[in-house]
Amino acid sequence: MSAPIPKTLSTTTEPPLIRSALLGVALIFLSLFLFLPLVAVFYEALRKGIGVYLAAISDPYALSAIQLTLLSVAFAVPLNMVFGIAAAWAIAKFEFWGKSVLITLIDLPFAVSPVIAGLIYVLLFGAQGWLGPWLAEQNIKIIFAVPGIVLATVFVTVPFIARELIPLMQAQGTEEEEAALVLGASGWITFWRITLPNIKWGLMYGVVLCTARAMGEFGAVSVVSGHIRGLTNTLPLHIEILYNEYQFAAAFACASLLTLLALVILAIKTLIEHYTSTQRQPSSAGETA
Amino acid sequence: MMSRLRQPSVLPGFGLTLGFTLGYLCLIVLIPLAMAFSKAFEVSWSEFWGIVTAPRVLASYRLTFGASFLAAAVNTGFGLVVAWVLVRYRFPGKRLVDALVDLPFALPTAVAGITLTTLYSSNGLIGQFLKPLGLKVAFTPLGIIVALIFISLPFVVRTVQPVLEDLEHEVEEAATSLGAGRWQIFYRIIFPAIRPALLTGFTLAFARAIGEYGSVIFIAGNLPMVSEITPLLIVSKLEQYDYQGAAAVSVVMLIISFILLLLINLLQRWSRLRHG
Amino acid sequence: MSIDIQGLHKRFGNFVALENINLEIPAGQLVALLGPSGCGKTTLLRIIAGLETADEGNILFDGEQASQHARDRRVGFVFQHYALFQHMTVFENIAFGLRVRPRSRRPSETQIRAKVHELLGLIQLEWLAPRYPSQLSGGQRQRIALARALAVEPHVLLLDEPFGALDTKVRKELRRWLRRLHDELHVTSVFVTHDQEEALEVSDQIVVMNHGRIEQIGTPEEVYDAPATPFVYQFLGNINLFHGRAHSGWVRLGGLRLQAPEYQDAQHVPAMAYVRPHDIDLLREPEDGDTTIPARITRISILGSLVRLELLQTEDGEITEVEMTRERFAADQLKTGDLVFVKPRHLRVFLQEEENQTTPLPHWQGHGDGI
Repeated sequence: MSAPIPKTLSTTTEPPLIRSALLGVALIFLSLFLFLPLVAVFYEALRKGIGVYLAAISDPYALSAIQLTLLSVAFAVPLNMVFGIAAAWAIAKFEFWGKSVLITLIDLPFAVSPVIAGLIYVLLFGAQGWLGPWLAEQNIKIIFAVPGIVLATVFVTVPFIARELIPLMQAQGTEEEEAALVLGASGWITFWRITLPNIKWGLMYGVVLCTARAMGEFGAVSVVSGHIRGLTNTLPLHIEILYNEYQFAAAFACASLLTLLALVILAIKTLIEHYTSTQRQPSSAGETA
Repeated sequence: MMSRLRQPSVLPGFGLTLGFTLGYLCLIVLIPLAMAFSKAFEVSWSEFWGIVTAPRVLASYRLTFGASFLAAAVNTGFGLVVAWVLVRYRFPGKRLVDALVDLPFALPTAVAGITLTTLYSSNGLIGQFLKPLGLKVAFTPLGIIVALIFISLPFVVRTVQPVLEDLEHEVEEAATSLGAGRWQIFYRIIFPAIRPALLTGFTLAFARAIGEYGSVIFIAGNLPMVSEITPLLIVSKLEQYDYQGAAAVSVVMLIISFILLLLINLLQRWSRLRHG
Repeated sequence: MSIDIQGLHKRFGNFVALENINLEIPAGQLVALLGPSGCGKTTLLRIIAGLETADEGNILFDGEQASQHARDRRVGFVFQHYALFQHMTVFENIAFGLRVRPRSRRPSETQIRAKVHELLGLIQLEWLAPRYPSQLSGGQRQRIALARALAVEPHVLLLDEPFGALDTKVRKELRRWLRRLHDELHVTSVFVTHDQEEALEVSDQIVVMNHGRIEQIGTPEEVYDAPATPFVYQFLGNINLFHGRAHSGWVRLGGLRLQAPEYQDAQHVPAMAYVRPHDIDLLREPEDGDTTIPARITRISILGSLVRLELLQTEDGEITEVEMTRERFAADQLKTGDLVFVKPRHLRVFLQEEENQTTPLPHWQGHGDGI
């Protein structure tokens, strides 16, 4: 977190006028693009009264959309958590050829437009796709069905946890694990009792970011969903449909739910950052060499 | 062979974790991505070229890359100011502001889309003041830029902020004692130090913006040749069952994204070299 | 338990870390591996521990092949940066090795408790049991790391630069403490250090290493008084270096002419001679027979009980360093600017034959010792 600047540094700061101007510019910019939209979500959601709001979020279609959103989070987060831990273990604890290529590959989903993420699954599993005819024979439906939505969500959230863990585990090195092994611990015990406690905050941080992205994913899910109400609509897709039908208050009511979740996620994230930054300070005291 | 490709280590689990990592990446990411390429090149090269350079497609590239570039540029300027203010000044509510900067990462893009559209439409909270000025934002390319500014806002702030925090105050004090003015210190000492971070932030914001779909489609108006971004073009080709065309345009986008990813990696390596 | 190291080779890519290492460590000894960074001493220690595997060669514990895996070797390893488990209390850190044993060999909770307290008593830090490592000083952490290693009753104790990260005062205290502890426990111990003073003060045997090879093995007296190679001469203690030539049993070094019967066959071979600063007499008058070199005193520093003089040889401008007691200095009434005659008492001549024998003191950098 930003360290407070002592008052004695007056020689190395700007004149008061420029400081106020800069502060003003920053706050106006953030207000226009961040704070105002945030407030607007709740304002629009409650504009038609609390009755409309409650009706919108207890609508059966809304409820099934919430369920589906939670389901994709429930798949994407644990899968990518296992992936992130495995990838970070291989990358941070071992030296091998082609490591930087692997790190770049893990980042790949960040660079791919969500729309394309959806498209590639359509090309793979869709009716005209590569595996389409075979899947039709087996009577398995992936595209325009729940599995496609889950897959698309998993794809866009692949890097989140791995990216948090890799630099963290690289910085921690291998000495504590080596110490545990020399003391007679097995690989599993070393992982559960030494490695995992050391990365728990980074892991939680990654999980929080992964959850945020998974519950909000729109483009990729939109392409594979088919927008079947009550069946393949996630909450963001449900919001789109309501909005396009000019049911603004209902759309914003659902949006306010996701916004609340986003705020909770930001709060958790800030708490983790605060906790880890205060924890890190004393432990670095003895490391002079 | 394994012993040549990796240095031996006493820690267990290399084969298991690397195998799982590669298998997972192949199944979820690489094989599906390869599908786009194989589909796109089912036709001849000239047909492919014809698809990806059709006037409507070219117009969508211009809009996507132009709007993304402008949004990233706006965020670079204002992001620097925001990072500066957050690191150097004290003001009430600073921690709240600091935490809220990440809102675009956490807020679903569809929510951002409908909210910004409502705010910036001609009878919206902000739009009503812009209308007398002759500025129409929602349902125009300007609206696209607004949406892209929102979704890529945190990148520059979050890449520049840690670098500004790590700058040693002594360096600035030394410069002051050598007779440098405030502007000279910024221009000659601080700016060179944060330049790699600024560039990285710009590229990250740009890369994120060109792929954006959810927030843009609500505010854009989506008129072909005027306000249709490339991701939307891919979706409309898909909705017309033109898988070939969708894959071809996607491949162009993918290649550009990969180049940007490489560029980001190089930039980050560069800035790491600078800061040790 | 004795350790027998036979024909060890290890390379990292193109870098040769260890080359044909043969070493016997008798049971119960405290042995120092001494050498500059990158000489391979840490790699050797890690191979003994089983944390690294050698490309060739054997490690025998009590004449038997050491087990493949580090966790079956029953060695205690103390890391340079302690490697304490940050999320565990001091008590849990020390208990770890006992708690992770298979159920059949795991001691009961009361036994673990007793063992941990016994060890905390041994390192005199009982009051720190409930603390976390981040709340301790460097010296305390290192003692906890040692107690943790001892908890599993290792056959061999290995310490990697155990005092490297500590400040000078704590380092001195801890190394005396380590010596006393070793005299109580008699666990065969090997420690890595780049600090000659540490090696000379603490160990029974010193193994001097350079460029992945063993230069000399011997007691502290042996390696200091009778260095086997120029490298050992240069690495342990201060030296003066004289360049010259050997010819038919005589060595000529500047103005000095000395008998060197061991080089009877040498014909005009370049030679170098090493003299410790305290092995030099300063005379007021020259001696007959080319046994002294004229020099002028340029600087006098008083270092506690010793006096160090810097002299400039009048003939060729080389600098010579001399150390003497304060009594001697007072008796001789030496002053800056005096002309004196340098007479080496002990002098060791090496011929410049092989490349490796004449390597001057290099600048040790790179090749981090951690590999």
